[in-house]
Amino acid sequence: MDVVLNILAGFAVALTPQNLMFALMGSFLGTLIGVLPGIGPAAGCALLIPLTARIDPTGSIIMLTALFYGTQYGGTITSVLLNVPGEASSVITCLDGYQMAKQGRPGVALSISAIGSFIGGTLASLALVVVAGPLTRMALEFGPVEFFALMVLGLSLLMGLAGTSMVKALMMGIFGLLLSMVGMDPVRGSPRFTFGQMELMDGIGFVPVIMGLFGLAEILENAEKRFTQVVQSKLSSLIPTRQDVKDSAMPILRGTVLGTLLGLVPGMTNSASSFLSYAMEKKLSKHPEKFGTGAIEGVAGPETANNAHANGALIPLFTLGIPASPTIAVIMGAFMMNGIVPGPFLFKDHPALVWGVIASFFIGNVILLILNLPLIRLWVKVLKIPYSILFGLILAFMIIGVYGLDNSAFDIMTMIVFGVLGYVLRKLDFPLAPVVLTLVLGPLMERSLRTSMEMSQGDFSILWSSPISAGLLIAAAAVLISSALRFLPIGKRIPSGDEEV
Amino acid sequence: MKRMNRLGYGMVLFGLLFAVSATLLGPATDACAADFPAKGRAVQVVVNYAAGGATDVGVRILATELEKALDTKIEVVNKPGASGQIGATYTSKAKPDGYTIGAVNLPALNVSYLDPSREAVYTRKEFIPLALQVIDPGLIAVRADSPYKTLQDVIDAAKANPGKVTVTTTGLQSTEHFWMMRFQKLTDTQFALVHFQGSAPALIAILGKKIDVLCGNVSDVTPHVKTGEIRVLGVMDEQRSAFLPEGVKTLTEQGIPVVGGSLRGYVLPAKTPQPVVDVLSAALKKALESQEVKEKMSNMGLTWRYMGPTQFEKLWDDLDEMMIKLIPEMKAK
Repeated sequence: MDVVLNILAGFAVALTPQNLMFALMGSFLGTLIGVLPGIGPAAGCALLIPLTARIDPTGSIIMLTALFYGTQYGGTITSVLLNVPGEASSVITCLDGYQMAKQGRPGVALSISAIGSFIGGTLASLALVVVAGPLTRMALEFGPVEFFALMVLGLSLLMGLAGTSMVKALMMGIFGLLLSMVGMDPVRGSPRFTFGQMELMDGIGFVPVIMGLFGLAEILENAEKRFTQVVQSKLSSLIPTRQDVKDSAMPILRGTVLGTLLGLVPGMTNSASSFLSYAMEKKLSKHPEKFGTGAIEGVAGPETANNAHANGALIPLFTLGIPASPTIAVIMGAFMMNGIVPGPFLFKDHPALVWGVIASFFIGNVILLILNLPLIRLWVKVLKIPYSILFGLILAFMIIGVYGLDNSAFDIMTMIVFGVLGYVLRKLDFPLAPVVLTLVLGPLMERSLRTSMEMSQGDFSILWSSPISAGLLIAAAAVLISSALRFLPIGKRIPSGDEEV
Repeated sequence: MKRMNRLGYGMVLFGLLFAVSATLLGPATDACAADFPAKGRAVQVVVNYAAGGATDVGVRILATELEKALDTKIEVVNKPGASGQIGATYTSKAKPDGYTIGAVNLPALNVSYLDPSREAVYTRKEFIPLALQVIDPGLIAVRADSPYKTLQDVIDAAKANPGKVTVTTTGLQSTEHFWMMRFQKLTDTQFALVHFQGSAPALIAILGKKIDVLCGNVSDVTPHVKTGEIRVLGVMDEQRSAFLPEGVKTLTEQGIPVVGGSLRGYVLPAKTPQPVVDVLSAALKKALESQEVKEKMSNMGLTWRYMGPTQFEKLWDDLDEMMIKLIPEMKAK
């Protein structure tokens, strides 16, 4: 088998001491960047770009890619421990991960997400080795029309995220859509709701918003508790129980498939993958009422999905030379700075480099697992730091991270405004997940709809013209109807599970 | 406790004094242009797009050589956002002392100040053209299995079904949009222009058979032309491209004089003293003409084309003149 020989040759490249060191460095930096709130993989890779001009291409690309998927491991940690998302794609983990921490099970949440991340990342890399070609062809089937239908399906899952009040959830969902309207119109290019502020031309930044709504609001809320420890209960063991493993197995598998497939679709974001995984797990769960109160499925699914997404998203770069996301564009830059053009000729022209890099994905994921599992013990100790000190530090890191996104002080202001807003919304018992979901999906949905309309010159029938989009739209309708039943009087036979506890 | 407090106040006072004196003394020391660049002081190049993109990579390739030519450190700073407008604003507002160079993409920059709805705070006058690095010519292409074999086939199809043949652009008011406007006018046709965000999604839509015709740049399609997945029908340049098969004609050769490309060059903020401008333009010429830069750019499929300040300025002004006429037409869809 050619593939086997190739990947073995790749391991020979990736296992040289030098390249192992680069993989380790990338994994370590990635974990660190993941842990630091605000600063994300794109910024992290961009920081390393100048370095790559000076070291050998294989090593530099191994390091950059390891950093890229490594952030997905690290991002979970602050989400679970402090309710401060370390990475945009880990926001949703705050919902159940933080509840688990409050119940004294932060170690279990972190172990499961590290294991899930490992499985997701490794299987997505395996897909790159075995079925990259067919998968790429499949991804190309996703044009603007199919993309729009997928977004509709994603949005229909919003109702599942509602807590006690559907009205409040819908209000928050629409608020998120409104926010996503700010900025340059994706087609006409004219500024909308920018009030003459140039910084608003690109829209309201997603990371500053979630940092505010989740991180800063959490700090503010805790500040009024006169700095008592939030996590009061005794910390239980770090090792997941048999029941935990049983509950997580299917979410991890589903997260892997979902993340890998969505990663392939150009323009899809990591955050969309983790959100859709969460919403899907809640929908499929036999006890959706447990979600939001520390359900392990709500951690396992999304955390696996975002890692699978990260490795899956590298597939189109290798096969087509097309970057599926801004971070991948940075990695593509590293290739090009070394005079290597990713794409159809990569495997033929630079076999040693490309198979070496692919083999390094497996090694990197192992390194990350080894790096992360023992560290959990250490991370959990963070909770023992007095909050009066911890919050100051976290706030400082959040500000630096948010500023570092675009070197813009405006983003810091955005974070503060949304921090205050998030605090008020929490006090009024509004769910925050719907805002973030629509903020993630809104722009993607609008752009794909407008592009579809340009393709058909305004004819709506294009939206159900392809079998894929028609299928997705039908699925969306089914989800909407079944969710609506839950809130109608006739649906009361189905246990709603939203009674006040 | 009290003593500690007093000590603290003293420190703060000292710090403030230091800061004030530094700001007062600062400008005096670097007002002198004769010894530009000062020993050990870095020159920053502002890139209006994100790190790792094609523009950024082009600048970083140059930066290594420019460091040698200027004998100082070059810092590449990314100020992405608002289609380059945030970075351009930053450059236009920078201190005109030669320590801030802007890397600009035309005609993206022209649009930002010519279109009033963009509310740019700068005009053409805020920039001194320094050097041109790249012209990435535009082209019209289709998938290899497309029924359109020649440019004439595309034109005929558009005439038979006005507004039905779909064409990609990389965004409203993008270079591709300009070229297609010119193309439609010259051939008296009407296409369905589909505005994607950047070249990657446009290319995906073509490869995925979602769109009929690609309007893009030479560097976007070079690898896919080699694999035989994409057939180029014409290049918008005065000469044929070295990166494409020899038989690919220019549009002008085919009777449609559309000439255009994405231009990438370097500018300084207005009011930079002439001696500094001279030092920098000489250094840029040296760096851009180095074998190292030429080779790496050619690997990326970028057409190297050096122009000095005067030539670059003329090209820029010609572009402005053409765009002033086209912008209102593009808005009225």
